[in-house]
Amino acid sequence: MLNHMLSAFRTYLHGDGAVLLPEMQLFLFAIGMLAMDSWTANTSSEKFGPNPGFRQKYWNPALALAGIAFSALTLWMLRARIIQSGELAGFHLTLVVDSYFIFFSALLLAATALVILLSVNCATMPAVRQGRYYALLLFACMSMMLIVSAVDLLVIFLAMEAAAISACFLAASPGLSNRTPSASVRFLLSSAFGSAVVAYGFSLLYGLSGATNISQVAAALARRHNVAKVIALSHQSGLQGLQMLQLLQSRLPEAVHWQAVTLEALPIAAFMLVSVGMILKFAVPSFQRQFNRTTAETDFGILSPVTLYVSGAYAIAAVALLLRSMFTIFADSQNIWWHIIAALAIVGISYGIFCSLRQTNLERIIVYLSIAHMSYVLLGVVAANEAAATAMTYYLFTYLFIVSGVFGVLIALRGENISAGVLNDLSGLRRRSPVTALLLIIFVLSLAGAPPTAGFFSRYFIFHALFETGHRYTAWFVALSSLPLAYSYLRIAVYVWRGRQSETEPGAVAFGIPEAIVLGVCVFVSLAAGLYSEPFTRMARYAFGQ
Amino acid sequence: MLSLTHYLFLSFALFFIGLAGVLTRRNLIIKLFSIEITLNATTINLTAFARLYGDASGQAFAILVVAMLVLELLVALAIIAAVCSRWKCATPDDEKDLSSQLDY
Repeated sequence: MLNHMLSAFRTYLHGDGAVLLPEMQLFLFAIGMLAMDSWTANTSSEKFGPNPGFRQKYWNPALALAGIAFSALTLWMLRARIIQSGELAGFHLTLVVDSYFIFFSALLLAATALVILLSVNCATMPAVRQGRYYALLLFACMSMMLIVSAVDLLVIFLAMEAAAISACFLAASPGLSNRTPSASVRFLLSSAFGSAVVAYGFSLLYGLSGATNISQVAAALARRHNVAKVIALSHQSGLQGLQMLQLLQSRLPEAVHWQAVTLEALPIAAFMLVSVGMILKFAVPSFQRQFNRTTAETDFGILSPVTLYVSGAYAIAAVALLLRSMFTIFADSQNIWWHIIAALAIVGISYGIFCSLRQTNLERIIVYLSIAHMSYVLLGVVAANEAAATAMTYYLFTYLFIVSGVFGVLIALRGENISAGVLNDLSGLRRRSPVTALLLIIFVLSLAGAPPTAGFFSRYFIFHALFETGHRYTAWFVALSSLPLAYSYLRIAVYVWRGRQSETEPGAVAFGIPEAIVLGVCVFVSLAAGLYSEPFTRMARYAFGQ
Repeated sequence: MLSLTHYLFLSFALFFIGLAGVLTRRNLIIKLFSIEITLNATTINLTAFARLYGDASGQAFAILVVAMLVLELLVALAIIAAVCSRWKCATPDDEKDLSSQLDY
């Protein structure tokens, strides 16, 4: 009996199960952590020594990191399998494991690991029952991996909802996030509204194609020209019109009363609904009213790993989903929709930069500018060639690490009870703690796009791809808008550099081991990807199977 | 006889009613209901198309949309309940006066 079950399990793991294995491991670890969390909360302190909070502080992140390590190991093994036997598909072609999934899942796992490491010494973390927080992080990571893996409208919708609900819980948890309940309600409303709009777009796509698999939808959309032509002909009088009418009545009886123009316009409507819905769902909640408006300028406890997670990992999953759906479902009509995307991206870049110029709050500056960065990534879709695909993945990859570095420095500063809320707080940092100041300056210069760093190349690749495909004006916009963007970041660097140390200020900043790991990795990526970008671009090319 | 077009117009109308509700109303619960109306438009669309193609996956999609809708409602109501206990109402007005209570 047991043998039978084991062999059935093994067959499952080699079939459909393999496709879901990395997500499943995260899920199991998260469930285990939740169970342990409630168990340790109920047991008395005698069993756990005098300081259960201290144990919890290291147990939970270690477990979460172990889950991520297992998942990453499975990804590595899946990668070897893909090289051998091509991409895997399972669950009736709703989930696939291809190089795109491997790359973005690895990136999401890395983002989650960075956030976990930064959370260990985070000052606002509650002392006990932290397991819930780390479990939620794993759940969110799992659903974002599902988003990247899904190739079926239905599964995409479900995964998006799962990710949104986890993110919403993370945002609503007291102490873990700077959001007030009102902010988390707005987060949820905006995200639910976005998913309603996306779902309406999906239903139109289903109506146009009669299928939910995105490659089938794409094939059906490609055929729609012919159907529209048949409908247009069937409305004409004469023998040909009659023949076409009969053809329609036998094949698609409903379409007799349709207008050809509706069939041409519906895909565009569906595209608008899906892309606007995704922007509402992912971008607006992560940036809108991130802060309690009235207290933000003075609030000390404003920086949090959750903000990094929502504006980093969440945005990466959204861009990955958008790229997959645009390049698969709507690949055919790219010459029509690139105008819309270019306009959205240009508005996003301008909005992000202009808002950041007026800010003095550090986190706001970074979050506003992350709108601009994500819009630069979107501009790669406008070019839509191989160079652009490489540029976009390279951009996302380096951006994640650089922005984690900035958050790492700021969170470490706060861990030392040094206020890092507004720009003025940073003045004199160079004298107070040269290492921290140097790190912050490296990250900020990299985000600004100073030449030897990764930030320069990421934007240069986008510029190059746009220029290559003949989008000259957009390319020049990228180049020129980099100036105010750089100004915005250099402002931070200037504050770090100038000013003198006052007598009352605390001394040097000592990093904990977790922060040191995060900062080390981030510095390595932001410098290495700039100085020797070849391995990194190769990785980016791998995502698109090149 | 009702044709597909009728269903599509119904769902289109529902979608815009929901859209208008989300954009114009201030009360959180009414906003939430408007979102639900928008999702109902989706389910009508999906079932109508499923009937057109004689395909079950559209109906499965519709059922899962309903399930998702319930889950979302659950989470939203839980958070709104938390908000209401602080605000004593479900309308996020006068945030300035309440900001002191809102700090976690």
